[in-house]
Amino acid sequence: MKKVRKFDAVPKLNGSYKFLDDYTRPNLLYGGFLYAKFHHGKLKQIKFPKKFSKDEFTIVSYKDILGENIVPEPENDQPFLVEQEVMHYGQIILGIAHPNKKKLKQFIDNIEVEYEEMPAITDIEECLSDENNVFGRVLEIKHPAEIGNTSHLIHTKRIYRTPHQEQAYLETQAMLAEYDKEKKEIFVLGTMQCPFFVKSALDAIFGDTIHNSVVETSEGIGGGFGGKEDFPNIIAGITALLAYKSGRPVKTVLDREDDIQITTKRHPSRVEVESYTDPITHKIRKLNIDYRLDAGAFQTLSPVVLSRGVLHASSGYAVEDCYIKGRLFRSNTPSNGAFRGFGAPQALFAIESHIDNVAAQLGIDPYTLRKKNILKIGKEFPTSQPIIENHLEDCLEKVIEISDYHEKYREYKQWNLEHKVKKGIGLSLGLHGGGYTGNGEKILNSKIKLVIEKNADINIYVANTDMGQGAHTTLAQMVDEAIEHPHNKTRVVIPNTNKAPNSGPTVASRTIYIVGNMLRNLIKEVKKELGFDNLETYVKAHQADFPREFRSLFKPDPQAIFDDETYKGVAYKDYSWAACVVEITYDPTTYEINLEKCWNVLDIGETVNPEIARGQVEGGVVQALGWGLSEFFYKKGFGRKQGFTDYTMLTSRDIPELNIEFIHTDNPIPKGLGEIPMDYPAPALRNAFLNATGVGIDEIPLTPEKIFANLEEK
Amino acid sequence: MKLEFILNDKAVSLEVDPMKRLLDILREDFGLTGTKESCGEGECGACTVLLDGKPVTSCLVNAVHAENKQVVTSEGIAQKPLGKLLIACFDETNAVQCGFCFPGFLVSSYYYLKNDGEPNLEKIKTALSGNICRCTGYQKIFDSVMMACHRKQEQEK
Repeated sequence: MKKVRKFDAVPKLNGSYKFLDDYTRPNLLYGGFLYAKFHHGKLKQIKFPKKFSKDEFTIVSYKDILGENIVPEPENDQPFLVEQEVMHYGQIILGIAHPNKKKLKQFIDNIEVEYEEMPAITDIEECLSDENNVFGRVLEIKHPAEIGNTSHLIHTKRIYRTPHQEQAYLETQAMLAEYDKEKKEIFVLGTMQCPFFVKSALDAIFGDTIHNSVVETSEGIGGGFGGKEDFPNIIAGITALLAYKSGRPVKTVLDREDDIQITTKRHPSRVEVESYTDPITHKIRKLNIDYRLDAGAFQTLSPVVLSRGVLHASSGYAVEDCYIKGRLFRSNTPSNGAFRGFGAPQALFAIESHIDNVAAQLGIDPYTLRKKNILKIGKEFPTSQPIIENHLEDCLEKVIEISDYHEKYREYKQWNLEHKVKKGIGLSLGLHGGGYTGNGEKILNSKIKLVIEKNADINIYVANTDMGQGAHTTLAQMVDEAIEHPHNKTRVVIPNTNKAPNSGPTVASRTIYIVGNMLRNLIKEVKKELGFDNLETYVKAHQADFPREFRSLFKPDPQAIFDDETYKGVAYKDYSWAACVVEITYDPTTYEINLEKCWNVLDIGETVNPEIARGQVEGGVVQALGWGLSEFFYKKGFGRKQGFTDYTMLTSRDIPELNIEFIHTDNPIPKGLGEIPMDYPAPALRNAFLNATGVGIDEIPLTPEKIFANLEEK
Repeated sequence: MKLEFILNDKAVSLEVDPMKRLLDILREDFGLTGTKESCGEGECGACTVLLDGKPVTSCLVNAVHAENKQVVTSEGIAQKPLGKLLIACFDETNAVQCGFCFPGFLVSSYYYLKNDGEPNLEKIKTALSGNICRCTGYQKIFDSVMMACHRKQEQEK
């Protein structure tokens, strides 16, 4: 563990680091999309504006697709381009390219699309309440126990709702594609999380027409947060088709409005939680959870989000009799996709809010109820996976201590009796399973490569991208620290599908946890095999042997078995744990919440680079608090958001004072980090409002409008 | 129109549509791609530059408004002593994540450091409230600017 600075900080600050729109090519065309501005209907006619000469433009429709019009996804149900029926607002109908950006926009804006309107589901509540809209597999986790008569138990049944959330990476989605006629090769440069996903999309859309496709990321990737996991497949596919048809390089850069309108969002959720709690022992004896997500018009990767959602639905609590059911619902809105947390934030919002509702009903404090039911050694998850450490409880105790929770809990009660502006303190627990769910990593079968050069530089070849999380700095650090090699002689080569083996996508908090651990093990094996103490001295003495390449494969733990049919077994080998306290003030005159303080204690195992880890937590927590306080993308009566003017994220004036502590950092394994800070803060905020006002609002964001409406109801 | 202005301390001129955005002129005509477009409506501050010494969002400034004025971009600031000081502080704290918003933050921080520079958290928060960052949660940005303010004060002693 040492302080290593990010290699890319200075070039990002002085403007020399290139993001996708900073690249250009001779003879470049700009790409754009005509997309549906209605929710559901049959296309009748597309009328191009007469004042433009259509021949100047390269236009591709589904008819130009040479392979298959299906985007490769966990569920292959989404076309690249509309054929006859538009299934959602924002679905792409045509790809269009022109040398002049301004003219391209004017042309697209003036195209008229005639269509026959069909009935559409656009309201989240309507979508999630109608059982006829269910699609895809229904997931069930069953952990039955005979608990006998429930009549003396406290029954609590509530419905929790969360909205869409926009990833709002500062760099919009963008791709540059080129076609080499002689080699029959497509090259795509882009801002993305998963180069091999994009490659498989290119292979799908071109079929046998091309001999090869190569995908590389731009130098800088301006944020992802899940938003650049699967949607880049569509942009790359259509942009590459335009390059193929025109014979010229094509660059597509979405403007903010298009990016907000057509790309994937966090799934809205409706989670019904029903519990039976013993009023004497405060043990939750029975828990039923009905977890629903609005998938949008197509399933795409939603089944995987659903899976992670149900597996996190009971949070950090051991309940004897537990039943969790998860379902996807269809609507005529863009497919919802990956967003940091991947189903877990929705699950934790519901259960962590529910715990406070139960505590209020029992008349006990929320800490005591958590403490009585927390997961610890001897207990198990609803999948029957045994708990092997008490680290969640350690997080809880530590956060209570550093935030002075008990004292403030008492003090604010008194304060609120005497003051108009209220104070509130809220608690939540969090957990996140690292890596792909269940047998996912085994199936993914990641591969990595290292090259030791003649000058003893180590070049790391992996497909995992650095979109700001500092992954390339941290991965290099793991390799050089393992053999005490100078940090400036180790680097990750910009991911390119022709050079790097497929080490899997940059998702699921898996980059350091899975790929980093593989790299560290590989370089240690290399050291053992070659028998060196100092790599530089060794390479100097054995020049003829270098450059030399080393590879390795992911080795699954034979003990970690998950049954995907019954949802029994080890869903995630290593969990990260967290506990959080949020303090707010609430002004009943303006219905506004002010975020005051946020205390976070996390166990993410080893913190390879503590400052980078801290930055991940700070950023994730602020995203989560924004989701809880002000962010929503669509709501009946409000319409859809258009840009950053009406999509309100937290600014420097809105954030609370952040306190972060890592515990159990002596664990030799760095566990998942990227997502857990997004998972748990929103319910702590919601619980702080309950503490301040006595009113529990079971839906976020807690905008003044929503607070007003809820208080009016009471 | 023929547009003449001072760009990063150098006199420049070009033939340009008077309604072309300053952002596009900087990126396309002068290749200064440090200035980024993110929201395109003046909300996020990624395209912030100094116009006659004051921070503006260059996506909302048309060519005609830059006529005969001083324009300083993040590339220009990176060459100035206070700019170098800020960059060193952002680097030391490991504040930078994706970095797309940082040239804009550099310009806003530079304006604060140059014209006020008091190591006061509330003032720093206000000075940076026109810039959105989605990665960092702002904390390390405050820490960096605070560090730069302290160092500037030490240098001036």
